[in-house]
Amino acid sequence: MDWLFFGEISLAGLAMGGLYALIALGFVIIYKATRVINFAIGEIMMFAAYLFLAFAGGMEISPWVAVPLAVLGGALLGGVIEKTMIRPMLGESPISVVMVTIGIASILVGLVELIWTADPQLLPSFLPREPVFIGELYLAPKIAYGFLIGMAMLILYLLYFRFSRGGVALRATASDQAAAYSMGINVRRVFNLAWVFGSLAASLAGILVAATGGLSPQFGIIGLSVLVVVIVGGLDSILGALIAGVFIGWLETVAGAYLGGEYRMPATFAVLAVILVFKPYGLFGTHEIERV
Amino acid sequence: MFNQLMQKGRRLAGIGSVVAALGLAAPVMAQDKDPIVFGGSIPLSGVFAFAGIHLHAGLTDYTNWLNDQGGINGHPVEYVMEDTAYEVDRSVAAFKKISGNENLATYYGDSTGFMKAIAAEVNEMNSVLMSGASFATALTNNEQYPYQFIPGPNYSQMFGIILEYIASQGEEGDMPTVAFVYSDTEFGKDPIENGKARAAELGIEVVEEIVTKPGSVDVSAEVLKMRRARPDYVVFHGYVLSPINEFMVQMRQMGLDTQFMGTFWSSDKLIIDKMGEDADGYMGVMPYNYYDSEEGGPMLDALRAQAEKSDPEAGYRPTGYMQGWFNAMVWTEVVKRTLDAGKELTGDNMAEALASIKDWDTGGIIGIPVTVKDMSFPVGRIWRVNASEGRYEPVSDWIHLD
Repeated sequence: MDWLFFGEISLAGLAMGGLYALIALGFVIIYKATRVINFAIGEIMMFAAYLFLAFAGGMEISPWVAVPLAVLGGALLGGVIEKTMIRPMLGESPISVVMVTIGIASILVGLVELIWTADPQLLPSFLPREPVFIGELYLAPKIAYGFLIGMAMLILYLLYFRFSRGGVALRATASDQAAAYSMGINVRRVFNLAWVFGSLAASLAGILVAATGGLSPQFGIIGLSVLVVVIVGGLDSILGALIAGVFIGWLETVAGAYLGGEYRMPATFAVLAVILVFKPYGLFGTHEIERV
Repeated sequence: MFNQLMQKGRRLAGIGSVVAALGLAAPVMAQDKDPIVFGGSIPLSGVFAFAGIHLHAGLTDYTNWLNDQGGINGHPVEYVMEDTAYEVDRSVAAFKKISGNENLATYYGDSTGFMKAIAAEVNEMNSVLMSGASFATALTNNEQYPYQFIPGPNYSQMFGIILEYIASQGEEGDMPTVAFVYSDTEFGKDPIENGKARAAELGIEVVEEIVTKPGSVDVSAEVLKMRRARPDYVVFHGYVLSPINEFMVQMRQMGLDTQFMGTFWSSDKLIIDKMGEDADGYMGVMPYNYYDSEEGGPMLDALRAQAEKSDPEAGYRPTGYMQGWFNAMVWTEVVKRTLDAGKELTGDNMAEALASIKDWDTGGIIGIPVTVKDMSFPVGRIWRVNASEGRYEPVSDWIHLD
């Protein structure tokens, strides 16, 4: 056993898992507050990455300005989607709402094909290119710096939810919508806020993932991997999203390295199947979740 | 304002030249003869749209050019297509609709999956000759797919050409080593077994074999495997852009002096446009001359003129355009040979005409005369990216596999 190789593979997997955790966080925030399973999360990521491409590539704005602009654009998109397409569905069956999010995903794919064409794209390089060594372990620079940026965002989120008024309102609404409403919390505004924050996290992750793996209108398919993460972690558990994100990222990478790339997805779905048998609500999910 | 007027003027001049060309061509166009129909399942949307748009442009421009020349033996040519979004069921539906409405002679299939799925029906019809976007090795099985052909070398033959080039860079007893990187798709896996067998015949050791998901994917772990295998060459197959860029950049960051090569769909100028300087030195196997190559010839010149005429703003035309044009060129040659022999346009007769193509001069589209073998054109050339010039340049002679 080459332990150095295992260490390097594990490190790469954990770093990628950190980005999965960030996407999963976006997914869970929306589900936790609004009970909407957002199948368009991958396409929101994709849209933000294309915005970054437009700002940094097309308009030649500094990447360090373009990243926040694109992330804010993605967050704004989430807010608009909630207000115009999800809010009118309040009270409808969960399946109908899920179908709306699938429709939104399809519209976003069409929109980017119209604006940016169907050509595969590479994002302008904005992360340092020097190899990163942790001791003797090599880590690809894009993955390393992407992980650090993602983790910084995760910490900011956790602090916001813990200490800010908006965060408390979000958590209160997630716990009990009726009680939150009766205590004067503007639940509609919280719903909108959840979509904005969820989309913001996903948008940043989208830019970081696209910087590593390239971008195309089919980029949103990564949402499937994240669906595994949130189901394993528990649809309504932020802690679950973080742990499962890191674990699934690691597992995918190790399976790919030792068994071959074709075993990445089977490995993660095998874990999903086992978890669903023994913990139907995910590792950290609550039992009241309505399953779709 | 002046520029706008100039642009408008140029556009009007362009339209004028089209009208003039049609007017001049009218006397030689025998409108009283039945049209010959080229059909197509074309992926104008979906995952293959980046190429489908250009394939469609190549097919359209060739058809217009051909009609300007008087069609095929006086028959006008019609190109009838439907968008399929690169989905097999939609491609099948498009084929059924077009073949039901038109007297179809030839057809463009958008994927290996579609061409396999429709094979039984095409075989039964015995009236259509089919080719398309696929270079799948399986389609050169004449018994199973007697009316389908490959408009170039199949993927195994592309690997053969690449491996011959690699072998030519080594010496007996000191052959370069190679790694294969391919996508986890039917397309990606197509040439791997034959490629490994051919490498063994040539004495080239395959030191690593990596399968990845197609599209946007992190390949850091796979690059770590390359760091240990240290191949002299990496051959990519089943990709358009990503993750080729990541392998190249990361392996170079690690100090490896590996050279990188790819097959047809991995060798478009898109790689240069998107990767910039990082693409320098990348090599691809290509059966056609690039649009912006220094090569010439009557048909290549006609292609460039027609491309310029149809869309003066487009500039460079990708390999998909060349591929679409060449497909329709082969159809024309086959239909012409069949009609010249006084035969009906049946699948059998057209397949026979195709098989009779020997030392065919393609007018510069392919740099040497080509001969059909097992329903394919097993010819290609290795081209290398010159990033500062922003184009591919030939680094080998044309290689025609026997």
